[in-house]
Amino acid sequence: MANLESIGEVVSADLLIVGGGIAGLCAAIKAKEEGPDLDVLLVDKQSIGWGGVSNKGGGIHIVFPQDYDIDKFVDYHVKNIGHYLNDQELTHMMARYAGPALEKMEEWGVSVQRNEDGSLNLGPVDFGWALAGVDHDLMLKLRKHARKLKIRMMDKTLVVELLKRDDRVTGAVGFNLIDGKYSIFKAKAIVLANGDCQFKGMRMWRSSGEGIFAAYMAGAEMRNAEFGNFYEMLRPDNNEAMPFAHHFLYNNEGEFITPKYMPEETADIPPAILLGMEKEVLEGKGPIFLDMQQYFAHMVQFITKWDRPHVTAFYSKAMGKAMKYGPETGARVEIIPGFIGEFSPVKVDQEMKTTVPGLWAIGDICSAGSTWRGAIPPPGAMRGSGLMNASVNALIGMPSAVSYAMETPPPEIDVGEVKRLKEDIYPPMKRDKGYEANDAIYAIQDVVAPIRYNLRRSKDRMEEALAKVLEVKARLPELYAKDGHGLCKSHETKCLTLCAEMGFRAALMRTESRGWHYREDYPERDDKDWLKWIILRKEEGEMRLSTETVPIDKYKVKP
Amino acid sequence: MGSTIEIDMEKCKGCKSCYQACFVDVFRWDEEEKKPIVAYPEDCVWCYYCEIACKEDCINVIPDVPGRVVMPY
Repeated sequence: MANLESIGEVVSADLLIVGGGIAGLCAAIKAKEEGPDLDVLLVDKQSIGWGGVSNKGGGIHIVFPQDYDIDKFVDYHVKNIGHYLNDQELTHMMARYAGPALEKMEEWGVSVQRNEDGSLNLGPVDFGWALAGVDHDLMLKLRKHARKLKIRMMDKTLVVELLKRDDRVTGAVGFNLIDGKYSIFKAKAIVLANGDCQFKGMRMWRSSGEGIFAAYMAGAEMRNAEFGNFYEMLRPDNNEAMPFAHHFLYNNEGEFITPKYMPEETADIPPAILLGMEKEVLEGKGPIFLDMQQYFAHMVQFITKWDRPHVTAFYSKAMGKAMKYGPETGARVEIIPGFIGEFSPVKVDQEMKTTVPGLWAIGDICSAGSTWRGAIPPPGAMRGSGLMNASVNALIGMPSAVSYAMETPPPEIDVGEVKRLKEDIYPPMKRDKGYEANDAIYAIQDVVAPIRYNLRRSKDRMEEALAKVLEVKARLPELYAKDGHGLCKSHETKCLTLCAEMGFRAALMRTESRGWHYREDYPERDDKDWLKWIILRKEEGEMRLSTETVPIDKYKVKP
Repeated sequence: MGSTIEIDMEKCKGCKSCYQACFVDVFRWDEEEKKPIVAYPEDCVWCYYCEIACKEDCINVIPDVPGRVVMPY
């Protein structure tokens, strides 16, 4: 032990939860409810209660109206959204638990919009599910409750890699962003709740996939990595996201293009409208514009529906700043597809267990890898499913994680592994010049964001994209950092580069088109050969790809 | 992305809310003076939560609009 403490600061816990956003906070509280005597430690690279995107979005949590037939939802979802790549049992379970998970969050202190009679004040029900409103202080309320439960918390600490012994997870290592010091965690079980990879693609979508990296390096399987290519509507002149703008798009000749590419109403942005935007631009009919009058008339229902002071403060501030410091907003504004990715391939089962003993994953990190959404990246045509995914994952995942932590003896740490990982982490700080993290990040963004590479896919173009990713990867050993902040950015760069590689390799393997995976060279869905999930795994230092057959025979909805 | 972050240090009471609210590590904390240090403004993504969290209303984030926009075409 003395040996270990001479290497870095050693912290022990029964259950280590990595990531203090909405998923991590819900997981920590649920774990403490399941095992009140359990020593739960929550760690975040920034500040617990402020990270992630749950306080920067719409403040919506999907629920299903009472008496709603969940079978009907699963049928609709599998046929129209998931395109038969769902774990249909899990899709059903997610819907069943959505309401109870929201009630749990409310019990833990989150402000939920209700009518005077106590019923939920629900937003529009267009496709079966409904939106419940929550306020943006939700994580702060959960953090307060977590403190009351004596959940330990640690800020400004980046978890880089996991420790293993005899194939099971025994802890983790990382460093403190303020002083750069090495941190060593001993834990009986670990829950990764530190988000997906958004490639820092849009302004407030900053996640870089550190949990995905840690899980992959520990030998965990990844699944559905080809479905990490989400695009949001973006105003390039002021860098503001414009959700739902795809309903009101015009080309530069004044033609209303939405009905041309979206002849039928869909639950959210379909790939067809994004491909259509690119087509119009390539034909010289760009840029694409949004009619602001139509847009505001549509959005007013969301803005005025609920009384949420923290949501109002957030959006009022953003709008005020945009007006003061940004360009003027005319009757029409330019709109482009803004790449976010939402790359989330950590494979988990219906209890949120990864394929590595002692390791769980919940929230955005495994949103595609759990496969409840099927052939689509998050938010999976279901706005409000991010919060629901986090809260439900915590509810269905923590019982088994807690049981495991209670039954498992204290872990033995491999000191040699701790030393070796320390040697891997710090080299960027030993250089005073080299590859700039921002240059590497921009290079990756310029490969994952173009529609020609990541949405209108083809073998030739994806091989070109992958080659560019591998060029960045080859230069990662040259990254340099002058302090803990820079070291964090260097590590984020490694993570998002790995995520880009996984995405393109999986997409190259799937020789068909399905959901958000569209291949110009294989434009048809192939149910004969491709009712399969693609699995990625690190074996002997290499990224190995294989397939897992979707057990369609045991599911209700079949092609 | 980046911004200019103005802080009225006379009004600042050192509550540390801005430091805690930042999710992209822009601030450092001066433990002696009990005041924020704007250490990495180039990484600010204008979520404005430091400004919103400040009870003394002494922060003004001036965004560097439009910042980096990753082009899809």
